[in-house]
Amino acid sequence: MRNTACSIPTYASDTSGVCSALYELGGMTVVHDSSGCNSTYSTFDEPRWYDRESLIFITGLTEAEAIFGREDRLLDDVAAAAAEFSPAFIALCGSPMPFILGTDYAALAGELEERCGLPVLGLPTTGIRTYLSGADLAWTALLQRFCDDVRPASAVTINILGATPLDLGLNGSVDSMKAFFEGRGITVNACLAMGGSLAELRRLGAAAANLVVASSGIGPALYLKRRFGTPFVAGQPIGLFAEDVLAALVRAAESGTDMSPCSAHHGGEGDILVAGEAVAAASLACALERETGRACRVFCPLGRGGEALAAGDVLLDAEDEERAAELFAGAGAIVADPLYRPVCPKGTPFLPLGHVAFSGRCHLGTIPDMTARPLAEAFDLSFGKSHGGKA
Amino acid sequence: MIKLAIYGKGGIGKSTVCANLAFCLAQAGRRVLQIGCDPKADSTIALRGGERLLSVLEGMRQKGLSLAADDVLRVGAGGVLCAETGGPVPGMGCAGRGIAAALEFLEKQDVCGRFGIDTVLYDVLGDVVCGGFAVPMRKGFARHVLIVTSGESMAVYAAANIAMAVRNFRGRGYAVMGGFVVNRRDVPDEDERVNTLAADFDAPVLAEMERSSAVQDAERLGRTVTEAFPDSPVAGQFRALADAVRTRFAAEGE
Repeated sequence: MRNTACSIPTYASDTSGVCSALYELGGMTVVHDSSGCNSTYSTFDEPRWYDRESLIFITGLTEAEAIFGREDRLLDDVAAAAAEFSPAFIALCGSPMPFILGTDYAALAGELEERCGLPVLGLPTTGIRTYLSGADLAWTALLQRFCDDVRPASAVTINILGATPLDLGLNGSVDSMKAFFEGRGITVNACLAMGGSLAELRRLGAAAANLVVASSGIGPALYLKRRFGTPFVAGQPIGLFAEDVLAALVRAAESGTDMSPCSAHHGGEGDILVAGEAVAAASLACALERETGRACRVFCPLGRGGEALAAGDVLLDAEDEERAAELFAGAGAIVADPLYRPVCPKGTPFLPLGHVAFSGRCHLGTIPDMTARPLAEAFDLSFGKSHGGKA
Repeated sequence: MIKLAIYGKGGIGKSTVCANLAFCLAQAGRRVLQIGCDPKADSTIALRGGERLLSVLEGMRQKGLSLAADDVLRVGAGGVLCAETGGPVPGMGCAGRGIAAALEFLEKQDVCGRFGIDTVLYDVLGDVVCGGFAVPMRKGFARHVLIVTSGESMAVYAAANIAMAVRNFRGRGYAVMGGFVVNRRDVPDEDERVNTLAADFDAPVLAEMERSSAVQDAERLGRTVTEAFPDSPVAGQFRALADAVRTRFAAEGE
């Protein structure tokens, strides 16, 4: 592996993951980076940016400040902004330059907390890890600070964990999930964090089971398991596979045991290769098998979510175009973001499925809400069309 | 738990002080880990019979994510566990970032927990020239800073700069000043200069090492003077330093 990406983009970074995870929770997110870089985190990677306000700021790091380690202006500016906007909390995270400089976010957070009288999270993002690790880091830190000591009132209450537009898009799928579960008599206590709030986050302990819909939710799920003993289920309730997720949630709540129904797909030498985030791709693989009868396997280049995968699936710790091309070359059909096409063999049936963390807003409008409805309503499952990628 | 970061002007004898202190503390029953924080990766050489270790950063370069703590840890004289961060060749890369990355690696590997370590010594390159070189004094790493100095003007100047950095980090939960160690060069007014420095920063002089050829003789043998010539006067002075360190810093966290 050479960790190269010449013809395809790279996934959104951990910094974007923090911004996305905290977008709707009423805090103020400050990224330590050069002026102008807010575009990367908040416009390119954040489809909510144009419709919904969120306090996301850039410190405007300059060359002189980097050289001289002038963190006093950063502290002054953040304190002034906090006084003006009165956020519920402050999250301070970083980018590659402060990472190389060795910026101590925990120490800066401590100073800011004393100065502002607000909870401040120091999140040591580097800008070179994946969005999943950033979202996980932000949520887990927030849970440690804000989660109330509450217990489940009912055995049919769940939380949804790991929900960001980076993985789910903006197609109403979170509302559909809530409607699906509520329709089956299961109360959705809280969602982390699309459509959620800090008040919801505080009561995360009051669920009997957690549903992890993307691997960014696994860290929070493990935290909630340690603190409250809550079991978690990995899977997205998509297509006909939604019933399996529902059943697993009920069993997990009853038994207290973690479950991963999405790892029940074929894996190994599966005919259809689904590429992307582990929980989403594995869930889609299960749903596809139901409707097509064809064996599916998963390729996840994001280094997380092994819990969701089947034996023989491929989980890479780094994005690598050459390895991706090798895997695609052996597939009978491919389901992936359209921007993977340049490294897919010409003639192999390709089902395009946009993934915001990979292609930003390029294909946002084409990402369907697949919650608890047959995939055939959203896709041509005959895989009849080939694409125009190079041989 | 004793966790010390040892700083001082380049060439002042930090590694000599650190390795001898490590050996004496180990002889006194402590479970010691010495981490050289210098691209030269030679901090622990006198504890290893002149043998160099695979540094953490070189290990990362060679093995990537498969690198394990056992690849870069070796037991030295007296049972001292030895590690070197290593770093880039002179004039290339970023040594400060390297030290930060290497220390984070060792932290994640839970070396102290796995090996029952109760004493960690960070032997840090020269001045605190950038953020990376301040990592050993951050929260979670060293609790106290020892500065090695002589009475020479440049050594005192460097020591004062480092002590200022420690003072500037007050309020961040970083390591605090533990004291000064004098490595004598027999310059005029040496005691007065060092005592003034210590008074300026309200920190004690923990021990004084005389100028002794026994130190160099031992290093030629690839050993510390406390191991090679335990009856020499300077070996006794190192043992006195170890006693002072145990008396002052061992109680915390135990």
